[in-house]
Amino acid sequence: MRTFDAYLHAVLTDAETEARRDGSATIEAEHLLLAVAAREGTAPQRVLAEAGLGHRAVRAALDREFKHSLSTVGVSVPAGLALSSTPSERRPTMGATGKLALERGFASVTRKKDLHPAHVLLGILHAEVGTVPRALALAGVDRSALLARAQESAAA
Amino acid sequence: MPVNEIPSPQEPADALAAVVALRRLADRLEDAAVEQAMRAGWSWPQVAEALGVTRQAVHRKHAKRLIAAGVKLRRRSP
Repeated sequence: MRTFDAYLHAVLTDAETEARRDGSATIEAEHLLLAVAAREGTAPQRVLAEAGLGHRAVRAALDREFKHSLSTVGVSVPAGLALSSTPSERRPTMGATGKLALERGFASVTRKKDLHPAHVLLGILHAEVGTVPRALALAGVDRSALLARAQESAAA
Repeated sequence: MPVNEIPSPQEPADALAAVVALRRLADRLEDAAVEQAMRAGWSWPQVAEALGVTRQAVHRKHAKRLIAAGVKLRRRSP
């Protein structure tokens, strides 16, 4: 339990940094995923790395999803426009998709003491629509297989 | 394709994701444009009026970020 609390705190802190770097006022599921992918030496990080999803690969997949989604309405990112912004002074708050990911992760256990770091990843991967599943699909990642691996890891 | 012709994405997932991506792009464009204007010596009221928002809104959203980025801000005009 203490291990999980420490892990969750670290992931939330890193996710906040990722959100600020994106110039986002809210912490979304993709920021949680980036934070999970960056936390070396943890089970969920290994699950992602085994699927070829290191922190840089996740960031690349998210960038690709962004550009792809813009292209569906005929828009491209203007040359020279910085996509990472000077971090805002304002502290990002938990966004709708971030909240949903955490709730889904927590809901996968009946007793709070059974929570494991992999449940955070599980919660993120449960989303069937939105930025994260689109980015994973564009990166050629089988989300269902990854979900199964995260489930195994959480049960171990 | 002419620029004024916006293709409508076939899939609802694409259409919804395009909205999310456009909002993010608009935010990044706003950051860059406001910084560019302030570096060029525009005042807050001018930037606010050009964006169609209140001076308070633009100041609240951008002042600290621009100061952190080392942009010399013009004092508010009297």
